[in-house]
Amino acid sequence: MSSSDANPESANPQEDMDDGVEMFHRVNRLKMKTGLLPNDDNVFRIEKEKVDSAQVIIESKASLYPNEVKNVLNALDKAWQDSKKAATRDKAKPHLEKLFHKANQIKDLASTFSYVLMQYFGMSLRDFIEKIDIENPKHLIIVQAHIDVMWVVLNENIKDEGGDKAKELKMIVAKAIEKYSQ
Amino acid sequence: MSKQPQVGAKKTGSLKGISVLVVEDYPFMVDMLTAMLREFGVGRIIVAENGEEAKDLIRYSFSASGNAIDMVLVDWLMPVCNGVELLQWVRGNKNEQIRFLPMVLISANTSERVVKTSRDFGANEALVKPVSPKSLSSHLAHVINHPRPFVKAPGFFGPDRRRQFREINFNDRRKTAPELVKEYHEQL
Repeated sequence: MSSSDANPESANPQEDMDDGVEMFHRVNRLKMKTGLLPNDDNVFRIEKEKVDSAQVIIESKASLYPNEVKNVLNALDKAWQDSKKAATRDKAKPHLEKLFHKANQIKDLASTFSYVLMQYFGMSLRDFIEKIDIENPKHLIIVQAHIDVMWVVLNENIKDEGGDKAKELKMIVAKAIEKYSQ
Repeated sequence: MSKQPQVGAKKTGSLKGISVLVVEDYPFMVDMLTAMLREFGVGRIIVAENGEEAKDLIRYSFSASGNAIDMVLVDWLMPVCNGVELLQWVRGNKNEQIRFLPMVLISANTSERVVKTSRDFGANEALVKPVSPKSLSSHLAHVINHPRPFVKAPGFFGPDRRRQFREINFNDRRKTAPELVKEYHEQL
């Protein structure tokens, strides 16, 4: 049976003669659901007008960025305070996981609206949290340096990483990492 | 006056009959993704906050009373059950319809490791953040137009990622690497 006349609902295993793996050629149900035939010349595409109109909607959400970052930074700050209060590594773990995800959310949010500097610090903090030892006081300084500069970036609305202030903030974090990461 | 369809015009299809499950823990990003999908005309958008919730929704959608999900967009990094864990669950599922579900993994990381891991666990596509309407629309269209056959091999079940070598019956104008190098040196 060829792949094109297989029942759409059933997998149709065929032995590949070259390497013995089992191959499943299925009818393209997804394309059929868009109203096209699986093997015809018509190619599914989303019209440019729809893509452009989605782009307008995304751009309209840029005005929400400062408030949204502030909310996530507050939650991140809270997770950090809770991590520090935890008596042991095990107890700190869930708070650090939350901190990790909040840093990741800041990175995602900033990258969506091209806030390059905030994206840089969000990613740097997220990556540092992966290897943090909460009982090492030096590591606490590095996290705090990240959080402090992120607030500065937000409050001073710094978007790019090329300006003097941006360079200064990046230097602060780089020095903290260099000095205290051991 | 209503528009008359042009004779011989190519059909482009519609997403009105498609159900997409979005698995993302961050509400702001959920809003962005669902806004894009709505503009593209996706008929049904379902949201799960994490991989565990997604498993329940997928199971239900493929039960007798459910309305089957056609495609899943899943974030890589999530608490509780992340994108890769959900992918493993889908590709290892006993339900044949669930096993073949098209999965698009969204990741902020462009590293080779992420792409390789997505491929190794059976993702149909890997979409890099930030997700723009342009990138999302082209990935959706790719999943719809170019489904790869699935492969079952020891330790792997998912779309076939092997390169396909096809005989061509016309003059091949492409240049080989040594030919390109020779041409480059000749131009110097």
